[in-house]
Amino acid sequence: MSAQAPGSPAEVPLFYRRGFRNVLQQAIYVAATAIVAWYVYTSLDLREFGFGFLDEPAGFAVGSQWLTEVDGVTNSRLTMYLVGVWSSLRAVIVAILLSTVVGVAFGVARLSSNWLVAKMATLFVEVFRNTPLLVQVVLWYAILLVGAPIIQNVINVGDFFFLSNRGIAIPWPVPSGGLWGVPDWFVGVWVALLIAAAVVALRIRAARQELERETGQPQFGNRRAFTVFAAAALISFLLLGVVVSIDRPIIEGTQYAEGMVIKPEFAALVLGLTAYTGAFIAEIVRASIQALPRGQTEAANSLGLSGYQRLTLVILPQALRQMIPSVTNQYLNVNKNSSLAYAVLYDDLFRVATVIQNKAGHALEMFFVIIVTYMIISFAISAVMNVLNARVTSHRL
Amino acid sequence: MSELPPIPRPEQFPLPPAPGNPGQRKIVLPPHRQRAHRPWSVRAREWTRRNLFPSRGGALLTLITAAIMLVLVIGILWFVFFDANWNVITANRWLLFAGSFPREEAWRLWTSIAVVMFLIGLAYGTWSSLGRRDTLFIVLTGAFVIFLMAHGGATIWSSIWFLAAIGFLYLGYFLTVWMPRETSPRRTWHQRIVGALLALSLPIVLVILMAAGGASTRQFDGFVLNLILAPVGIVGGLVVAIPLALGRASNMRTIKWTCTAYIEVVRGAPLLGWLFVALFILDDVIGGDLIIRTMVVLAVFTGAYMAEYIRGGLQALPRGQYEAAQAVGLTKLQAMQLIILPQALRISIPPIVGQAIAIWKDTTLVTIILTLRELKGNADSAIAQSEFIPDRIEAYVFVAVVFWVVAFMMSRISQRVERAQGIGER
Repeated sequence: MSAQAPGSPAEVPLFYRRGFRNVLQQAIYVAATAIVAWYVYTSLDLREFGFGFLDEPAGFAVGSQWLTEVDGVTNSRLTMYLVGVWSSLRAVIVAILLSTVVGVAFGVARLSSNWLVAKMATLFVEVFRNTPLLVQVVLWYAILLVGAPIIQNVINVGDFFFLSNRGIAIPWPVPSGGLWGVPDWFVGVWVALLIAAAVVALRIRAARQELERETGQPQFGNRRAFTVFAAAALISFLLLGVVVSIDRPIIEGTQYAEGMVIKPEFAALVLGLTAYTGAFIAEIVRASIQALPRGQTEAANSLGLSGYQRLTLVILPQALRQMIPSVTNQYLNVNKNSSLAYAVLYDDLFRVATVIQNKAGHALEMFFVIIVTYMIISFAISAVMNVLNARVTSHRL
Repeated sequence: MSELPPIPRPEQFPLPPAPGNPGQRKIVLPPHRQRAHRPWSVRAREWTRRNLFPSRGGALLTLITAAIMLVLVIGILWFVFFDANWNVITANRWLLFAGSFPREEAWRLWTSIAVVMFLIGLAYGTWSSLGRRDTLFIVLTGAFVIFLMAHGGATIWSSIWFLAAIGFLYLGYFLTVWMPRETSPRRTWHQRIVGALLALSLPIVLVILMAAGGASTRQFDGFVLNLILAPVGIVGGLVVAIPLALGRASNMRTIKWTCTAYIEVVRGAPLLGWLFVALFILDDVIGGDLIIRTMVVLAVFTGAYMAEYIRGGLQALPRGQYEAAQAVGLTKLQAMQLIILPQALRISIPPIVGQAIAIWKDTTLVTIILTLRELKGNADSAIAQSEFIPDRIEAYVFVAVVFWVVAFMMSRISQRVERAQGIGER
């Protein structure tokens, strides 16, 4: 062993030592970054920097509201912005759910052995992936406004589903009085209870199935879970006494009444996001399935599984491991792309923010608010998907 | 076991000498793999049965799909040929193509297009070949454009210019006939020259458009604006992305953290948000024309995404590559330049092209909050004219088709590059 390894401190002049170099380079870098940052800071107009303007009365109205009723006179700008956030969230959630369904369906269809189905799926993917989302959204909007009939000639599917240039009307559950005279918002409590019961039931089912695998004795997981859920639903219904009826849409004059009216703006945005993201998810699904070894399909075939069983029990669960990171990315894109609502005048968070900026100035603060909001939503989506990813990858292959 | 036919050995079916041509031998399959000659009608029936009607359920699926496709296709054809009023496009051809670009300077546009087409032809000849499908695609696109020009009675000159541009594409392509196909110093030089020309094409085009009394940046308009913004975003993005990716992969903490923060913050907000910054905030910081600020924002935005893809390429390289470079005695800079970056960039070509296509589509966004008017923005102006108000769908369908053609071409080229380079194969 040599006493002095080459490059050790004693032999090398200070300037050529690795540690010194490292510090020097970083110092130069930090100094340069600081100069740029200082330049940007001084050139920004920060005399009136502050978020107080968000508390003032809005002075403008926000359309496309659901479950909220705010107006521009009494409510503050911050309230309006939060209403915009809620509008964005609605569009994002619906688009994520629909695009997943569309994406999985077309991704699987692209690999179908049926020539026509495979070609149709390829056509769908190539058309919607390679067209700008903005153009798709405005095109859907144009089709819904110009292509759809006026409300006098509404397309009526069995008094159940209406389509006209005022939007799409569908039946919707509404609270209609209670057994014990509870207020309407108890419906929300009941829905929350039902969701909780469903979660508990699914847990019970999973535990029973685990026990079944360990002991080899039948544990009737499905039956027990269903019993628990049904009992919880019935008991909570009787305790709360809320009655929910389905409201069918009707037409009064030139307006939709009752039911749920999906405005053309919202429909155009969601259709655009769904088709565009669905095409990308279809490609991800196809690539993930193709990445599986062929032996998986052959093994499933040799077990005698049907095509549907092969897909849902063997192929998709494994492909899911590879899919989730890329699909998460697409969900984050849905969140960011929802800002294209601006083009069809849907009052999402970005549009409301620009209106506030238009009224009150403070562009820097508004941009800060916008980016923080998008980051929070992105973070929430990532968190949910990470939990899902952890569950999917918990079993080692 | 005994009923299985014995596997024939080669000496059991001696290959017959081909008549008249003793040098070449006809390939004869062993008996168990020989198949009787079947006429095409039989093969077609077999194909149909296998791919369309394998079972009762499969047949039902085929019929349902066919019905849906039929309704869609008939509906679309009906719209295109009977319902639609394409005058909104043909009457606004110049508006959609170049908007406020001065008409008397149109030769500058056509010359730039010819130059770019020539370079594309060179690139095709250098790295790939124009197959039958490409020619079909070019002919179809050409027919589409000629139809558009003829429909509203355009001057004969624009048709000639357009045909000349396609001619330049093939001229560039056939110029590469003399290029050696095998790797050789001459081929390397050839590739370098073509690469340099491609890299310089953007400045060349800008000089042609603007030099000596040409258009000002404010007059870049319509589809021309898309064609300018997208390459600026892509090239600028790459320029921003490479140092960012190296910075994020660096082991110096300050550099790593700032690069990571930059990438994450830029990716946190939508492009529309950053265009908002270009409009209201960057004015105080860098000033300049709105179009310059937009270009900066596009480069900065694309750079953050591309940096992530290049980082992926860096991470995908085996550690041995770094160690080997060190062992050969290369400095860090040399190792990066000669060993690491070329391989990392090669790995990240597919996602980078994906991002290039994304930025091509995203150039439409400058219309939304900026006062810039690209193709979609000028389509909005076209349908604002009183006689074309009912023709929204036509205008947007046209815009969609134009963007689709370019994006589809880009994705096809990237697929071919992937295949040629063997990326993604195992």
